[in-house]
Amino acid sequence: MEALGGDLAIDLHDVAKTYKRRVQALRGIHMQVGHGEIFGLLGPNGAGKTTLVKIIMTVIHPTRAQGTVLGRPIGHKPTLAKVGYLPENHGFPPYFTAQQALEYYAAMAKVDRPTRKRRAAELLKMVGMSGWAKTRVSMYSKGMQQRVGLAQALVNDPQLIVLDEPTDGLDPVGRREVREVLRRLRDEGKTIFLNSHLLSEVEQVCSRVAILVEGQVVRQGTLEDLTSRGRYYEVELHGAPTDGLRAAARAALPCELRASNPAAPPTAAGGAPTCGSAVVTVPVEKGTLPAGQAVELDGNVVRIHTDQPAGIQPVIDALRRRDLTIHSVRLVRQSLEDFFIETVADLHNGRPAAGTTQWSGTEQGDQP
Amino acid sequence: MTQTWAIFYDAYRSLNAKKMFWIVLWLSALVAGAFACVGINEGGLKILVWQFDTQPLTTEEVAPAVFYKWLFVQFGIGIWLAWLASILALISTAGIFPDLINSGSIHLLISKPIGRLRLFFTQYAAGLLFVALQVTLFTLACFLVIGLRGGAWEPGLFMAVPLVVCFFSYLFCVCVLLGLVTRSTLAALLLTLLFWLLTAVIGGAENFLLLAQAQDKYGRLPPGAVQVYPSDNRGGPGQLGGNRAPAPRPLGKPVPVTEASAGDHAAGRERGGKVPRAIGRSLLKAVAGQSTAGEKPGPKETRPAASTFQPVPNKPAPFPAGKPDADGQKEPSRGLKLAHDIVYGLKTALPKTSETIGLLERSLYKMADLRPGVLGQPGEYQKAEREVLEKIGKRSAWWVVGTSLAFEALVLCGAAWIFYRRDY
Repeated sequence: MEALGGDLAIDLHDVAKTYKRRVQALRGIHMQVGHGEIFGLLGPNGAGKTTLVKIIMTVIHPTRAQGTVLGRPIGHKPTLAKVGYLPENHGFPPYFTAQQALEYYAAMAKVDRPTRKRRAAELLKMVGMSGWAKTRVSMYSKGMQQRVGLAQALVNDPQLIVLDEPTDGLDPVGRREVREVLRRLRDEGKTIFLNSHLLSEVEQVCSRVAILVEGQVVRQGTLEDLTSRGRYYEVELHGAPTDGLRAAARAALPCELRASNPAAPPTAAGGAPTCGSAVVTVPVEKGTLPAGQAVELDGNVVRIHTDQPAGIQPVIDALRRRDLTIHSVRLVRQSLEDFFIETVADLHNGRPAAGTTQWSGTEQGDQP
Repeated sequence: MTQTWAIFYDAYRSLNAKKMFWIVLWLSALVAGAFACVGINEGGLKILVWQFDTQPLTTEEVAPAVFYKWLFVQFGIGIWLAWLASILALISTAGIFPDLINSGSIHLLISKPIGRLRLFFTQYAAGLLFVALQVTLFTLACFLVIGLRGGAWEPGLFMAVPLVVCFFSYLFCVCVLLGLVTRSTLAALLLTLLFWLLTAVIGGAENFLLLAQAQDKYGRLPPGAVQVYPSDNRGGPGQLGGNRAPAPRPLGKPVPVTEASAGDHAAGRERGGKVPRAIGRSLLKAVAGQSTAGEKPGPKETRPAASTFQPVPNKPAPFPAGKPDADGQKEPSRGLKLAHDIVYGLKTALPKTSETIGLLERSLYKMADLRPGVLGQPGEYQKAEREVLEKIGKRSAWWVVGTSLAFEALVLCGAAWIFYRRDY
């Protein structure tokens, strides 16, 4: 696990929630969020993400929970004065204007009158709602309500900001603006705890993530660490993926290649050329380089499973010696989406046992 | 305090948005204005510029202050505040908790640095504040009307504020509990009104059983003599059932029995200019609190009320009669007593809405004196009735308000527990 230091914004241990003694929403969550980072909480529907967020914000009573939020025990109400929260599917009373809503929730967060007036005006400007400050929220679109909601979460100038689906209902421009706001807040030293379904969004702003499946954290760590396992270099040869090209490449590579199971799908981005309407599966040939890296020949693409540039030089040299023209060489990193789907699919296939947690890329058993 | 004020202000905004606050306020102003339009002088009643000859209801017989206080208690409090305005207030405030829970704003509030119990009780107080504000403004207006038109500056009128708020809080706490359980404003409102009806029925039943016991003791009433009104909120503890049965009413000046005994039947036969006088006599009777039960119609009859009542011994009593004692009086039957004890126990546990409002009447009437014997010698029925009234009147304010507040505290604890424990 990456060292987060002793001073954590959120430090959860064994957080569990069982609804009506039947439905186990959370089965003992262990999670750490450091100060000044944007932490993403991911998981499929029903994984317990919102339940966890609500427990942190004292909206839901945990069945059992240990840990701290901003150094105080979970559920410590005065601490919430330093926490901002944007709930999922929030609603403002319809008689509020944006300005009134912000001032009201600022008052509830114990912000003094002059400050809340000033903050409300500033934040409405920040989320692009200044022109609608005096209009009742019942007139707003979903996206506008979401913008006001985000402003509401910031009205008490919080140290920790918990956002549950903050870009829900926003158009692409609005999403980009939200991302920029989040980065700005991070640069100001705020900690952001982000719960979102939008993996691309999380990938763009979060430094660390946790994946929650069936009430348990199954992966947790930096994006870099979590997705490093799937990194490889891809060398694309010039020319159509003909038998001749493949034969030349096969001969050039300094190892023996064996065709993998033709019925098996390509391991990554391998294409399957089609002939007429019939799908012809070209088997991916696999082997191991003398240095130990796995290598694949997939049509006119050679994949070397390493993220070290030095590891691919012998392959490039060998291909060049056979007068094969190299069209491109690129480092392919597994996307968060690939990683997420792989993780969730693995769980459903029963591979990583439920209850295992991977800390910074390495699997661990349940934390004590 | 920042949070408390914010919640109160939010409650005002919520009510303001529903327009109910201003609607009720304007209606209150209208009622107070109607009071101001009614005057009493030597010639009778004067409404705006129109003079009505309502002899004997004149300042010769009734002091203006008493007349206005009677108007305030019977109509201002009894009908308007404790009945119509309370229903409007329930409609206005019934949605406070269901709306809070269902609107999605509950997450925003609970996640703030405010305890759930404090949030609950502040929201509850905000609902009561609505009623307190309305009652205060209405009472102030009536205070001015009585002072300016009746010449009596009676600060005791402001007892209406805590009493009406108390009365409303009995219902509001039930409404809040039901709102939290059902999460529906409409369900909470309808069930609260049903609960109100239930308390009224139990109150009426208790009064009926008391009267039946007393009647059993003194003799039975003529058919139709016993009128048990639903125990709504329109009267005081010194009244039967709906608190509309006769009680000795305070008067600035004594009411001549000759006028009071002139029945409504005679009044109904009067025509032309005599109609206002008949109305005046009826009103005067109402102010005096004299019952028309058992009275025979007859103009200018100088007859004590006692002589109007003749027991009807052959009619079977609703319960087996007890045995007569040495004074010729009978002990109430065991069945009646048992039934009464059960109903009384139920009533003790439930809020006493009508009695709470009746405390105001009780306190206001203490301020005036009543000449002894003004109502004449009581008959057997009136003896029974008076005994019942005395029995009810002896129930202390602590019993009336204390047990009701205990009920409220219990209900509120339940509601607060639900609000505190619920996952939103």
